[in-house]
Order: sequence, then C-alpha cells, then structure tokens
Amino acid sequence: MPKKIIILCYRKIIDDSNANPWDKFVHEDSFLEFKMQSQLYNQELKYNTFAELLINVPGADKLHFLVSAAVTGYLRQLNGIIPDVLDNLGRRFLTFENFKFEIINSDINDIERHKIAINFFSKPMVWHDTVDNQLLVSLEQTMEGEEIFTNLFQLQPFISIHSIKDLS
Amino acid sequence: MERKNFIRSLMIGAVSTPVIIEACKKSSISDDGTTSGSGSAGTTASTNGTCTVAPTETEGPFPTKSPASYVRSDITDGRTGYKLTAKITIGNLNNSCAALAGAIVDIWHCDAEGNYSEYGGTSMQSTNYQSVHFLRGRQTTDSNGLVTFTSIFPGWYSGRATHIHVHVYNAAGTSLNVTQIAFPEGSGTSLALVNGYSKGLTGYTYNNADNIFSDDKTGVQIAAVTGTLAAGFDLTFKLNVKA
Repeated sequence: MPKKIIILCYRKIIDDSNANPWDKFVHEDSFLEFKMQSQLYNQELKYNTFAELLINVPGADKLHFLVSAAVTGYLRQLNGIIPDVLDNLGRRFLTFENFKFEIINSDINDIERHKIAINFFSKPMVWHDTVDNQLLVSLEQTMEGEEIFTNLFQLQPFISIHSIKDLS
Repeated sequence: MERKNFIRSLMIGAVSTPVIIEACKKSSISDDGTTSGSGSAGTTASTNGTCTVAPTETEGPFPTKSPASYVRSDITDGRTGYKLTAKITIGNLNNSCAALAGAIVDIWHCDAEGNYSEYGGTSMQSTNYQSVHFLRGRQTTDSNGLVTFTSIFPGWYSGRATHIHVHVYNAAGTSLNVTQIAFPEGSGTSLALVNGYSKGLTGYTYNNADNIFSDDKTGVQIAAVTGTLAAGFDLTFKLNVKA
C-alpha cells in the first residue's frame, strides 16, 4: 500500500467512576474549575448544568477552554506520552503535544454528573502497512532503504484516525 | 512475567474495557482476589475477545496534585510586548474597604495584536498544551490584599478600549465581582506611548465611547499607570468587593 502520514486521536472519557489517581485528580480539579469559571456566565446562579448554560448564555461554550487550565498541569505530568493506548507488546507508545479538552456534562451541585473528555492528538506517524487487524506505524521517517523501528497496534474504541496525508 | 502479576492482569482485563486499561496500583485491587464493591455498573458493550493486550510496563509516572495552570505571577507565556507589572489591591466594602486577604484574583487580557488565548474556531482544532492559556493568571491576595502579575501591555481590538478583565472570588471560589480595568488616556500616558503597537490608534475606541467604560464619569475603573517603553509600565488598581 502507498505510505500515509496519520495523526491519531484518543478521546479519553473521565467521570466519577474512574478509579486511577491521575483520572481522579483531573475529574476533581476540572469540576472545581468549572464551578469557579461558570460563575462568569451564571452570575445570578440561575442555572445548574453545563447544558443549561450552553443553551441560555451566549459565550458559555468558552468554558471548554477556560476549564482546560485545570488539566494542563496533569498533561505535563504525562511527559508527552498518551495514556492507556498500548501497542501489541503492551507498551504505551503514542506521543503527543496537542490536546483538546471537552466538558461533556456537568452540574455545579453534583460532582457525580461531571463528565469530561480529553482528546489526545498523536504526533504524526507513518502508516506503513496493515498486518492482520493491526496497523504497522513508525514515529519517524528515514531515508529510502534504511532500517526503521516500527510499532504494531490495533485500533480500539475511542481511538480514531484524526487526519491523513499521502506520503509521496 | 510472574504468575501472580499475570493473573492480576487478567482480572483487570475482565472488569474494565480494554481501552481504559491502565497500570493499576496494587492497592486498587483487594488481596483476596475479588473486585466487588468498587465502581458502578457500566454501559460499555463487551469488546472481549478482540485480543487486545494488557499493560505490561513498570507502573508510573505517579501523578501529584497540580493547581490550574492559571496560578502563576508571570502570565506572558512568551508573548512579546512592553512589560507591564499589574498590582491589584482588593478591599472589602463590608469592612470600610480594608484589605481583603485570601481572595482569589483572576485576570486576563489580549496580546499586543488584540488576540485572546482561546480555542480555535472548529471542533477539529487542537492546541499545544504548553502555552495554551497565555495572558491569563490567578493569584491569591496577601495580608495587604495585594496580588502582582507580570505581563505585557495589552493591545486593542475593534470596538473596545484597552482593558484588563478581573474576576475576584473568595477563598472558597465563590464569585464576588467581575469587572474590567481601563487605562488613562491622553498625551504622555502609557496608552499614547505604546500607541496601539503595530496597529497604531486609528479606529481606536476611547473610554468615553466604550460600552463598558463610558458610564464611568468619575474614573473609578481607570487604573494608575506609570513608566516608559524602555523600563516597562506599572499599573496599580484598587478594587473593592463585598466579602
């Protein structure tokens, strides 16, 4: 197959049921930041949920961005490695610099209704081939004819190919 | 792999979807081998049998509590412009405007070209996490009610006078006041010296035509700003809130 350059997106969903410490910090701190920042759009405290704010208050969609400051410190702690996604050797291998934070649902009175997503965008990779049901990719390009180190992995739920470019 | 770890990894795989498999800490799994009584009933359909691998890595990195990236005194994040040091004092209207200690103060303003840090227009757009919140900061007032930010002199954009946004919260994060700080105008002022950066001041909206500041006839929203282009500027502002 002709080689392509792809960027993967992993959409990590975090809600009250997530148990691991990183997820819990992100959940709790993004909820506190939502409670603070949402007051800018809710000065009379007429609304409780993020959905109500989106429907009724112009500009409330900026809360995705404003609340994301609560998680960037935790993103730094990942040292540029996308969590959870493993190659066929059982290792995390995807690297990232770009992200997008989303509030899926929230309620200023109920942290259990606070649900967010962090979209991790991988650095560009070369998609060399598809072996069985796995993608054979490499993180770097080399000159024609040179040996190159590759990773083999399987597309899983919440992972998608975000962008694609032909490599001529 | 040790047999014990191998069995544990199978157990993890059995109770969670493959995609959220994460290196679990030992303490998250009870020693008697059961996993009852944690989490809640999920709605994710089974993808078991797709033959995905379980994590086989050294645990870590271990997360530590991290404040919002707003919490810092220098908010420039690499934006270039004339240096501006903003000293904002919070007073309490319910206590003869005496200094309010422990209040949380958020500020944000645009860069020299008049742009705010924010997400791009489309939902497909992503952002580098290192400097995404430029020119936005958060500090807690000291015993004198004072917070200090290091930033750059704000630029301007169509329809608005130069301004800095301020949001004051009490220590618990409850909003006390949302307002904006205006700049003094006229010959010799910082505004005239900076001269709108590369845009100039053609088409600029002055305070008396600004829809936020035009009703401020006495100038309570206008900060005191001193300094020079070479040395940078110092802005001082007193904001009284009901706390």
